[in-house]
Amino acid sequence: MITLFRRVWHLVNRSRRERDLLSEMAEHRDAMHDPSRFGDTHRLLEYSRDAWGWNWLDDAMQDLSVGMRTFVKSPSFAITATLILTFGIGLNVTLFQMISVGLLRPPAVKHAESWVRFLRAAPHSTTSTVPYPLTQFVNDNNNGVLAAVILEYQSDLAWGREAEDEITASFVSTNWFDETGYGAAHGRVLSDALDGRADAPAVVLSHEFWRNHLGADPNLIGRVAYIDRRPVTIAGVAAAALPGLDFVVPDVFLPITQREYFYPQSTLLRSWSDEAVDMYGRLAPGVSATVAREALRTTMQAAAAGHKEVKKDEWLEPLLATSNFMRDGERQAVLAVLSLIGALTTLVLVVAAANLGNLVMSRATGRVRELGVRMALGARRTRIVRQLVIESVPLVAMGALGSLGFAWAAATTIAALGGFPPYMDFRIKWGTVVLTVALALISLVVVGLLPAWKVAQQHLIDALKDGGQNVSRTLDRARLRRVMVVAQVAGSCLLLIVAGMMVRSVQRAIRSSAGFDYERAAVLSMPLGRYGMPVDARRSYWYQVKERVLANPEVEAAAIVTAAPLGGRVFETAYDATPGLRTLTQSVDAEYFDTMQIRLLSGRVFNASEPDAVIVSRRLALEMYGTLDVLGRGFPLSAGGRSRSSADVAKLSAPEGTIIGVAADAHSIKVDANDVAELYRPLTVGDFSEVELVARARTDADRLPPILREAAMLDRRVIPGARVMHEDFARRMQGPRMASAIAGGIGMLTLALACLGIFGVVSYGVALRTKEIGIRVALGARQPALLRSIVRQVLTPVGIGAAIGLVLAIPVGVALGSEPFYLENADPVAFAGALAVFASAGAVSALWPAYQVLKRNPVDSLRHS
Amino acid sequence: MPKTTGLPPGTLILLILRVVRPGPLHGYAIAQRIRQLSSEQLTVEEGSLYPALQKALANGWLKAEWATSDSGRQVRNYRITTKGLKQLETEQHDYQRMADAIAIILESA
Repeated sequence: MITLFRRVWHLVNRSRRERDLLSEMAEHRDAMHDPSRFGDTHRLLEYSRDAWGWNWLDDAMQDLSVGMRTFVKSPSFAITATLILTFGIGLNVTLFQMISVGLLRPPAVKHAESWVRFLRAAPHSTTSTVPYPLTQFVNDNNNGVLAAVILEYQSDLAWGREAEDEITASFVSTNWFDETGYGAAHGRVLSDALDGRADAPAVVLSHEFWRNHLGADPNLIGRVAYIDRRPVTIAGVAAAALPGLDFVVPDVFLPITQREYFYPQSTLLRSWSDEAVDMYGRLAPGVSATVAREALRTTMQAAAAGHKEVKKDEWLEPLLATSNFMRDGERQAVLAVLSLIGALTTLVLVVAAANLGNLVMSRATGRVRELGVRMALGARRTRIVRQLVIESVPLVAMGALGSLGFAWAAATTIAALGGFPPYMDFRIKWGTVVLTVALALISLVVVGLLPAWKVAQQHLIDALKDGGQNVSRTLDRARLRRVMVVAQVAGSCLLLIVAGMMVRSVQRAIRSSAGFDYERAAVLSMPLGRYGMPVDARRSYWYQVKERVLANPEVEAAAIVTAAPLGGRVFETAYDATPGLRTLTQSVDAEYFDTMQIRLLSGRVFNASEPDAVIVSRRLALEMYGTLDVLGRGFPLSAGGRSRSSADVAKLSAPEGTIIGVAADAHSIKVDANDVAELYRPLTVGDFSEVELVARARTDADRLPPILREAAMLDRRVIPGARVMHEDFARRMQGPRMASAIAGGIGMLTLALACLGIFGVVSYGVALRTKEIGIRVALGARQPALLRSIVRQVLTPVGIGAAIGLVLAIPVGVALGSEPFYLENADPVAFAGALAVFASAGAVSALWPAYQVLKRNPVDSLRHS
Repeated sequence: MPKTTGLPPGTLILLILRVVRPGPLHGYAIAQRIRQLSSEQLTVEEGSLYPALQKALANGWLKAEWATSDSGRQVRNYRITTKGLKQLETEQHDYQRMADAIAIILESA
């Protein structure tokens, strides 16, 4: 270590040390009788440098400066190479940046490693929310395994004295801010001491709401505002960077203990059957999630002893914040999809690097004479390899810098277009830089080392004799070049097919949504339960509102449904008779099919009282019974549906009944999913705890929301929400559209790279064989035969590459077949389309240089040397 | 590195370390001393001396410092370090062992 330090110190002071050595040698020479015997001091200086071991650095600097000079002297090559690498590395870095910022990152809260989210679990079902009294019971009786319990309850409310604006609110426990570690930007946040009482309503505004809707006025603190027409005091503004535990930032925070101030009739704080709040806990120091789960079983049993709503075999399942509150299986599924996308972007880098490697090899092939001279002068092969590799360093460095810029620009653009919340920080961080450097080094191996190694293997000294023609020809036919073409073609084919499949899945979603008319529809929602209305009263209220809505001449039809298209929660069931198909159940009234323009293929709609009747969709009928002739048959085919547990499903239900109708397919809830079918059943009184009204306009859906709101305010306490469906649709399709556009863009760019690679190989081969081609033309060879002989060089690698791409696309399609992409497995249109695009682009890039050379006069070709 | 004449290969560093052991010497004096001590049998070429001195410096066997010679010239004196003494001992031992081995072979042949 000391020796190394000494050498580095020498390097730092090298110029001074060398001056010393030169003057020392001068003194020595002067002292000699015959100074001419001393020799050349500069040569001795060179040998002395060797002793310190830094000569390689000097050589490297020289090679680097040669590389820089080449870079500057051939700007078109430099720019192309930089862009290729920028694209290849940048895409991977962007993906990393998006994942590290948006996914797989524990929430930025105090003690993130000890937070868990509790699911309420029973042997056959799981729910993500729990009743409020249960949370209090657990807080009081958790055997010391929890250091804190915090709660959230998301709700839509109205802001303003006349309830003019819809806002989102989080009713949170008063310790929420203390425990998560978020402070106030202005005023104060909620606290146990100040907000524990139910009669002192205070609100904390989110920073974004305060800035965007209230003009960032700091004087608002302490003023009175109105929420759901009730006065509240603005206590403060929350800190700007507030992702919270679930990454949802509401417009306002309200203390959950004061919920009854807004809804005096609400039973939320007392009901053991109302599963409403999200429950998070902080594990006590030294307590693992497993220990907490076991300890809380006792707590749940104690709760079950006192309250019939809790079953004895239920438990609270803790999901760790460090696993993003996902179960192992869910996390693995997310990781699998991410890894696959990562593999695809790595493939882009492989294509880019192979492409550039080919270009670099072509350029090095043109330098065999120069390299031959160097070897003839005593350079070793390793020295030649080092030289060529170092010359590629400026290219790769520029590519790496470009890719950082690309990643920043792409992540920021996607964040802006995708509507990501502002607390997500997409600035370049050290991890991203390290990844960029690592990928740049890998690229250097392909772009610099492989071609250099291949070139240095040739008999370069022999190249001096024949002008390098033999060596150039050998290199041109090198297997490495073909392997690189195969890699490019395979990668680009695969990516094109995947992009094609993604575009097709968006098309399918749009087509399937044509199964219902969302363009002219709007949705009305009223949380009547909040106003303490009994379920019977809710039902008559809804029907009264429906009458009022229908009375308006602008409204053509209206219907009541448990989950309006493009939103709302539905019951999801997996039946044994239809493996791989998820059945989504909606309760609807008789007018639903007419309102949403869903065609009834056979049978009829529901009568007034037939609770056991069901209407199945075409796909469900075909998959369960194999025929559309199912009227009067019992549903489901074999008794006993197998319930599927899902964190998002509030209740699990497996309806049974007699089929009275078959409706056309209309993926109204999960528009982009390819593994769902619909089941409709009549509305029951119980459904009115949470229903919505859908209405179809005669002319323009945008006119409906005020009409619906007005009709809903039969009781002036009720604050309704209304939205047009085409906005929901646009929002829902934004993600898939963006993903398929990005995939399409990547596919086309990779195609361009592969075509550039084919073009390069063919045009270089043609350039080497100009003389031969000239002779053949002069001897009367026909053009088609000549074209065939020129293009044959790339035919095999392109064919192999395309075959590999096609074969690999099948498992990729299968792997991306479920959420979130829903690709169609082995979609023949995507395969054929991608192949057609690739074949035509590839043919043009192979034939173009061949055609160009054949266009010339054969005599000119013969004169070419 | 240039060849030395009259010196067995690999022994230059050994000789340099040996002649500077009694006290610091500059480059010219080192060459002179080797010649004198070997009764003018061994000559160190300057082309070998300076790279060897740099190697010894790089390995920490010698330290160099500027001084004024008796003749009033600025010279760079080389002084042996503790590490250099150890190296001298090792090299001396290795050389002796090799010389003995060669001698045995020569005598037996």
